[in-house]
This record gives sequence, C-alpha cells and structure tokens, in this order.
Amino acid sequence: MDLYFITFAVMAVGAGIFTITAREALTSALGLLTVFVACAALYLHLHAPLIAIFQISIYAGAILVLVVFVIMLLMSPDDRFEAVQRNMAYRIMGTIVALTMLGALAAALRDVTTGGPAPALPEGFGSPARFGELFFSDYLIHFEVASVLLLVALVAAIYLGKKKL
Amino acid sequence: MEDWIIDLIKVVFIWVWCLLIAVVMTWVERRASAMMQDRLGPNRAGPFGLLQPLADGIKLFTKEEIIPEKAKSILYVLGPALFALPAFSAYAVVPFGDKIVLGGKEIILQVADVNIGFLYVLAIGSMGVYGMVVGGWASNNKYSILGGLRATAQLISYEVPLGLALLAVVLLYGTFSLREMVFQQSGTFLGFLPNWGFFKQPLGFILFLVAAYAEASRVPFDLPEAESELVNGYHTEYGGMKLGLYLFGEYVNLGTLSAIIVTIYFGGWQLPYVDMSAFLGPVAYGIASFLVFFLKQAFFLFLFVWVRWTVPRFRYDQLMGLGWKSLIPLCLVNFFITALLVQLTV
Repeated sequence: MDLYFITFAVMAVGAGIFTITAREALTSALGLLTVFVACAALYLHLHAPLIAIFQISIYAGAILVLVVFVIMLLMSPDDRFEAVQRNMAYRIMGTIVALTMLGALAAALRDVTTGGPAPALPEGFGSPARFGELFFSDYLIHFEVASVLLLVALVAAIYLGKKKL
Repeated sequence: MEDWIIDLIKVVFIWVWCLLIAVVMTWVERRASAMMQDRLGPNRAGPFGLLQPLADGIKLFTKEEIIPEKAKSILYVLGPALFALPAFSAYAVVPFGDKIVLGGKEIILQVADVNIGFLYVLAIGSMGVYGMVVGGWASNNKYSILGGLRATAQLISYEVPLGLALLAVVLLYGTFSLREMVFQQSGTFLGFLPNWGFFKQPLGFILFLVAAYAEASRVPFDLPEAESELVNGYHTEYGGMKLGLYLFGEYVNLGTLSAIIVTIYFGGWQLPYVDMSAFLGPVAYGIASFLVFFLKQAFFLFLFVWVRWTVPRFRYDQLMGLGWKSLIPLCLVNFFITALLVQLTV
C-alpha cells in the first residue's frame, strides 16, 4: 500500500472523528482544519496541486475562518458543546446526511476496478491552464449553477441584514 | 552534489536568512522609531546597539515558562507554533535570486519553482490567522479573545483585495509562477521606464500594499494588538519564547510580504536598464542578483517601519469600511481596466 496515502487518509479520518466528538467549539474547528489540510495533501498526491491549493485557501483560509469568527463572536472558551451534541434531532439529521453521502460514495465506487497499472496522465494534467480550459468549457454549466446558488445566498444575506429594504 | 543536498542547503539557508532578517528587524524597528522620535534607542549592547536582539533573545529564552491558570494549556502552546509555521513556509516559493553556477551545476536561487507559486503564497498567508485565533482563545482572557476576533474579521476582509490586486497581475503576466513573472519584467516599458509591474499596475500596487499592511496587522491596521485598547490583543497572556515566536513570526511575515512586493511589482532580482549577467561571472552574478533582491526587499521592510511610526491607527469600523467599501471596488476597477488593456493589446 501507498504509505503517503495511508498517512494522510488516517489523518483525515482521525481528525474528522475528532471534529465531531470534540467538546469545545474551537478545538472542533481545528480538527476540521486538519481534515482540510490532509485532504489537500491527498489532492497533491493525485497530481492536482491546483485543487490542493484551492482546498487550503478557500476551505481552510476563508470558510473555516468565518466559522471560527462566529465561534469567537458567540461563545466563550468555557462554553461546552454537550447540549448540542446530545440533541436527538441533530443526531438523526446527521445520520441521514452521513448515510446519503456513504450511499453516493458507494454508487460512485461500484464501477471502479482495482489493480493494474495506473493509466498515463494526459498532457498538462492538473496545471492551471488545463484546469481553466475544462472549467470554462465542459464544466461551465456547473460553474454557472454554483454562481446562481451564491447569488441566492447573497440576496438572502442582504435581506436579513438590511433593516429597511 | 546530490540534488536533495542542494535543496536541503537552500531550505536551511532561507530559514536562517528569514530568522536573521527578523532578528535584525527588531533592532531596526527600535532604532528607527527612536530616530523618528528624536531619541537614541537601544545603543548599549555592541556597536550601535546591534547586539540588542541577541540580548533580547537570551532574555526571552531564559524567562520562566508561565501558562496562565485559566488558559487551555494545549492550545496555548500550539498558538505560537501555528502562527510561526505558515510565516516560514511562505518563503519557499519566493525567487530570491536568479541562478548561480557552482562546479558546473546550475542552481536556481529559489527553494521550489512551482507553477502555482503565487497561489501557494496566498493560501499559506491565509493560514497565519489561526495562530492569532488559537492564541487569543486559549488565553481565556477577554482582551485576548477580542484581539483574536478582530484578527479573523480583519484578515478575511483584506484577503479579498489582496487576492484581487494579485489577480490583475496574473492577468498581466499570464502565469502563476513567481519566477516567470520576474523574467517578464526585464527590459524597458514605454522606452524609458524599467519594465516593472509597478509601472503597469500603479493602482494595483497601492491596493496590494494597503492590503498587505492589513494582512500583516501592522500599524495603521494593527487592530488585533491595539495596545491602547486591548493591552496587547491576542498575545497579552504570552511571555518568554512563546511571545518571541509571535513577534518573530510577524517580522518573518513582513519579510515575505516585502519579497512578494519586490517579485511582483519591482522586477525581483533585476537591476533596471542593466543586465548584470552580461559582465559578471556566473558565481558573482548569482550573488549580485541575490543582493539586488535583498536591497529592494530591505527598502520595503524599512517602509513597514517608517509607516508604523508615522501614521496613527484606524478605528475598527473605519478599517472594515476601507476594506469593503473602498479597496474591493477599486480592486475590481483595476482588474477590469487590466483585463480591457490586456485584451486590446494582445
């Protein structure tokens, strides 16, 4: 087995478990940070340095910083998570989401065959130029749908934030 | 020599060099501030007080290690490390010189010439905030938490203009590789100006500079530390070498930001109008390019100090207003103009 993969996969899964079991909000967020970094390392291993960098700069550097901002704004270091973690409704919802994700993963992995040498990578695989090319041709519709989704969130934020519209 | 030995030497050299810059910067900061305030500053230890940083270092290292009773001890120790680690790693992709030929082997003066070097700097730069947050949170002190809170909001706000200003540069050079960017800045622009990014992106440079000061949380944007309101912000409860790591990390950050400014806007290691490689030997050229880069970097390091002791601090709402209402729209305008010009000229 691939030692690099094993190291970071174990790190990601371990940190993921730590994230959902941690008793304090900020340590939980740091667990999530570790998950992101481990995933970025795995992307690097899959010859996708650009995705790895996006993972770090967007997920770890922007989204998680916002999460941490909210934690610091609303909680104090002595607050505990237990009430939230014991909440049955959250547990059930979490289970449903986790099972859906597992199902999707299983469905995606059904056709995968293991063994044999890895196929050769196409020219320029993972380079910014190739990435941009695919992004604005084959995957343009995904990009546009995502941007509409963000627009919806933006409109909602303005609606909630403004006292008078 | 084996390649990995060369890489190791480069890594160790850059690490030591960053530390050295940080150490000397503490002295420069104190002497320059004294100069600007018409006093002498530290001048007892060694000639011109040059050994003062050494004395400070000995003091920080030999101080008693205190972890406050109410602090979260693990996070408290982790904080400074989380702050210093990204500061040191960002320098890995900075081309600090052209190349040097030793024993028939060409060595580029850069730890890693990766084609996404520029994004790497942005990504690593955005990780420094965790050190401040963890430090503030773990101290379990209201001033520290407020400092950490301010740090998160400030750094995330100013990352946007920083990234947008740099995006315009990427549009201009058409590459993410910092080394490639330096090569594209040789020659002249409009016939008489050096072909530097600064002359092509004057607005972008100013926006980047302002955002960089905010990212390094230096005066006039040092709200996370703001000693008149928050004692010392996120590192109020720290002492000894843990505090030292925070202070060091800040100066290393300044060094990296200055290096990025020089690389992107001021032609990296190149002298204007003169091609050094034409009349210098391969070894001398390598050293000269390194020195030219360092001189430019030193100027911007001094600018950080100069500004710190010249302008007053912003108020917090002014800081946020400047970031979101002025810098980001201006960055977008700059980006649009650049895109238009690139489209028209190519």
